[in-house]
Amino acid sequence: MTQHEQPNLNLPSTQFSPSVEADWQAGRLLMIGESYPENTYEFFAQIIEWTEKFLGQEGRLLHVELRLSYLNTSSIRAMIDIFDLLQEASDSGKPVSVSWLYDSRNPRASELGEEFKEDYTFPFEIAALRS
Amino acid sequence: MTVFSSNLSSLREFFNKERILICFNGPISRTLIGEIGIALKDHIESTQSRESAAMDVFGVYIEMSQNIRHYANAMAYGDKEASATVVIAEVDQGHYAVSAGNMVELADGEALLNRIRHLATLDKVELKQLYKQQLRQPKQDDQITGAGLGLIEIARKSSQPLEASLGETLQGKAFFSLRVII
Repeated sequence: MTQHEQPNLNLPSTQFSPSVEADWQAGRLLMIGESYPENTYEFFAQIIEWTEKFLGQEGRLLHVELRLSYLNTSSIRAMIDIFDLLQEASDSGKPVSVSWLYDSRNPRASELGEEFKEDYTFPFEIAALRS
Repeated sequence: MTVFSSNLSSLREFFNKERILICFNGPISRTLIGEIGIALKDHIESTQSRESAAMDVFGVYIEMSQNIRHYANAMAYGDKEASATVVIAEVDQGHYAVSAGNMVELADGEALLNRIRHLATLDKVELKQLYKQQLRQPKQDDQITGAGLGLIEIARKSSQPLEASLGETLQGKAFFSLRVII
C-alpha cells in the first residue's frame, strides 16, 4: 500500500471531546480525555469509519487504547458501535485488543470500563494508570 | 436600600439557606453547559474526598442539560421556551441535589413523568438491565424526548428515587422539573 492509502486520524482534544490518534501503520487507535460532544454522531462517525476500514482491509492486530475519564450516554452508545466492530472482527478470526486505562482516583471510569467489557469476548484489559 | 439591592440581598439569603453552589436560568448554550460543568466538577473535587461524587454530579448535570438542549432543538423552540433552569445545591452529608427544569409540550411532560415514576420503582440491578437493553435499541427511539438512555443513567447515579413534577400549564406547555440526589 502506498502512503496516501494509509489514512491516519489525528484529532486534538477539545473541552467536549477526547484526543484521537488512529495510526494505520501501527494498527493502533488511541483516545484520551472526556467525551460529551453535542453532536456525538458527527464526532464518532470518523472514528467508526476508520476502524471499519482498518478491520475490513487488514488482518493485522488492531489495538485500541482508551483513557476516557467520562462519557455521556450518547458517547457510550458510539463506543458500543466501535466495540461491536471489534467483536465482529474477532469472531471472524482477526486479532483485536482493547486496553482501558483509568486514573485510580476516578472509580467511575473503572466501572465504565467493566460494564463495556462484560458484553464482549475479545481481549479487554482494564488497568489503573499510576497517578 | 434600593429595591434592586434589597431583592439581591434576599436572593443571596435564599441561596445561602438552600446551600446553592451554582444556578442558572436562561437560554443555555453548548459552551455554557461545558463551562458550568467544569466549574461544578472543580468545586466538588476541591471540597470532597469522594471523587466519585464529583463525577456523578457532573454526569447527571450533563445528561440533564443536554436533554434540555436536544429537546428544545428538536421542537425548534425560540430562546424563551428553550430556557433552562438549573440548580445544584449541597444537601446533607456530602450529598448533592441536581435540579433542572424546562418548558415542554404537556403530552411529552406527562409521558416523561410516567417514565420517571416507572424508573423510580426499579432497583439498581433492574436499572442496569434496562440500561443495557436500551443501549441496544435503535438510536431513533431516543430522539424525540432525548430522554431514554440518559434518564436511566441519571436514575442509576441517583441515591434516591427520582423526583419530577409538571407545573405552570400554559397554552399546551408545562414546566417540567426533575430533582436528583447524588
